Amino acid sequence: MQDRPIDEKESLALIAQMIQNTQQKLELGSGRIFLSWGYITIFTTIAVWLALRITNNPHWNYLWFAIPVCGLPFIILRKRNNLGVRTYIDKIIKQVWIVLGLTGFLLSALSIFNVMWSFPILFIIILIMSIGSILTGLIIEFKPLVIGGIFAILIGAVHYLIKIYDVKMLTFALAFLAMDVIPGHMLNIKTKKHV
Amino acid sequence: MFKELNPLLHSELRLGVMSILISVESADFTYIRKQTGTTAGNLSVQLDKLSQAGYISIEKGYKGKMPCTTCKITALGVTAFREYVEAIQSYITKK
Repeated sequence: MQDRPIDEKESLALIAQMIQNTQQKLELGSGRIFLSWGYITIFTTIAVWLALRITNNPHWNYLWFAIPVCGLPFIILRKRNNLGVRTYIDKIIKQVWIVLGLTGFLLSALSIFNVMWSFPILFIIILIMSIGSILTGLIIEFKPLVIGGIFAILIGAVHYLIKIYDVKMLTFALAFLAMDVIPGHMLNIKTKKHV
Repeated sequence: MFKELNPLLHSELRLGVMSILISVESADFTYIRKQTGTTAGNLSVQLDKLSQAGYISIEKGYKGKMPCTTCKITALGVTAFREYVEAIQSYITKK
């Protein structure tokens, strides 16, 4: 493109072309953020579960903080590696996850520090994060995220109803497999095909 | 009566830049250069013109250790762009 005058038809064609170019909703590796949070949460859940089972020491619950500690570098790295453009869709998704993420973090911290000890925190976290996955799936029009989120809510119901501790931990991990890991891999496969 | 076309926007490169920025929240210099296929020097001059007119805001920062220039369209820019599109449409419909 040059600094040259153009006629009316060229103007409209140019506007349409430029707008169309910016409308690509998915970029290569879009699923990476879901995979990061999904795997970190699953591994942390298994680690906390095993540690509590083996030692019976409730202090191992502090290990839950490994999730935000390990997850934040992925967010920072993702910010550095982006394509140099931020669409309104990116902005909405980011704001949705900031609200849900901070809510989840605050409630988890209150629960871990025994401020709200009777709160069914794992169930609430499944619900909050499922809502995030469903909303993201609806915004970027990617059905596996929506379906994964719905499955995770159903797993959450099972998690709430069954009172056995081992089942609770396993269903918590399973919910993140459904809402993050599986859709994350599918999203990466889809973007690989498109890019 | 034809509406007068804004001379600042009636240029291929500046209109291209404005069309990109109208549809995104922000875009950096490298992205705009890639989309418009122009040289860095030329783009820099045109961005300055749009910025001086108050149509875009330019923020200089860093992405990691690399310098990064981020551009955003302003409210004035959105109005100018809308008026330009209306003017173009009036030309086409009256021809």
